Amino acid sequence: MVLIREMPAVGRGFIERLEPPDFDSSHWTEPVPLRNSKIAIVSTAAVSNRGDKPFSWLARDYRVIGKNDRDLVMTHVAVEYDRTAWQQDLNTIIPLDRLIEMEKDKEIGSVADNHYTFMGAADPRDMEKSALEVSKKMKMEAVDTVFLVPV
Amino acid sequence: MCGLAQIFESQGFSTVLIGFVKEHMEVIKPPRALWLNFPMGRPLGKPNDPEFQKKVIRVAFELLQKSPAPVLEDFPEIIPVKEGRMSYALPVDLVYKVNQLGDIDKLTDEVKKELSNLMPDYLKAIDNNGRTTVGASEMEISDFVPYISEFAKGNKPKSPRKGLPAIPLLKLVVEDLNAVYTETRIYKDKIDDLEMLGKWFWQETYAGKLLLAIEAVSLESDDQVLRQIASMSLLTPRFWSEGPLPGISGSGWT
Repeated sequence: MVLIREMPAVGRGFIERLEPPDFDSSHWTEPVPLRNSKIAIVSTAAVSNRGDKPFSWLARDYRVIGKNDRDLVMTHVAVEYDRTAWQQDLNTIIPLDRLIEMEKDKEIGSVADNHYTFMGAADPRDMEKSALEVSKKMKMEAVDTVFLVPV
Repeated sequence: MCGLAQIFESQGFSTVLIGFVKEHMEVIKPPRALWLNFPMGRPLGKPNDPEFQKKVIRVAFELLQKSPAPVLEDFPEIIPVKEGRMSYALPVDLVYKVNQLGDIDKLTDEVKKELSNLMPDYLKAIDNNGRTTVGASEMEISDFVPYISEFAKGNKPKSPRKGLPAIPLLKLVVEDLNAVYTETRIYKDKIDDLEMLGKWFWQETYAGKLLLAIEAVSLESDDQVLRQIASMSLLTPRFWSEGPLPGISGSGWT
């Protein structure tokens, strides 16, 4: 995305007025070597399996997507981003096939069985409880590396 | 997204994120972040281009080997956008008033015909892609237009979906209808051009006109939720506009 000052007026005004959350930025976890890592994707695209409960407009909760799930729908509240890319190729927003290929090629250790999506329009401070739940699930699956992908 | 990175990092995971708003990444300081100068909705860059997508992933994952935090780098390639906007936006002056809408029943019939004409190619598109993104509303495609049309007439139909009120369902139906059109056009004409697809759907199809009619009716509606989602442009793509949104006074606009 271009810099905020380069954006058209409506989007620029909206994004300028957003108050960035004040999280503790001192945390640092020493990475596992990539070839040994187990990776989960966390997406804010509000994508879920067909038939799952739709995300509400300011949802704080999350949905789980299996490594091989491909029949997905999106219930994101915002319309300011292009949806024609993911209509063509899920990997444009959630690159599960790419990670699976990288696992086969031994570029990464492994791809987690489960991945997680949130509603990106919600305030991240409100997502903390859900993020801690997701953390527990990822720990149970021995995930060590999280790849965060916006939409 | 940056905040989530810090929560997960605090729980003992190494995180790496790719992101769009560089100024926020600089302020929130996630441990490892790669800034993308791409259109929104395309964080891995290019559909059906595995090598480009892997390049984004590889450059992001290289950050896992760098320190000290915060590590923030730019992806070396740019996918250019038109006039700074991250996706298609309706022209500022393409706004209807309720008294300009004409005969909604006639418009509805035109949309039904248009949609019916698209269906053979839409079904081929599903075969070709092995999937469709249509279906968030869980309504039959044949029910999309009648449901939307009721709102364009100023009515608020009862939601046929248990647990989902009429207006949130309307939003999903609008997006499903849009997706039927764009998935079909992408397949039929082998195009990947978000500006062209946006212009075609919103400015050249009867379906686009019907949705603009809903916007016009919603802005004058007694229903606060309907008025709000229209004025916030949650039904129509105006976020990347250069002018005031419909329903918002142009006076004082800067």
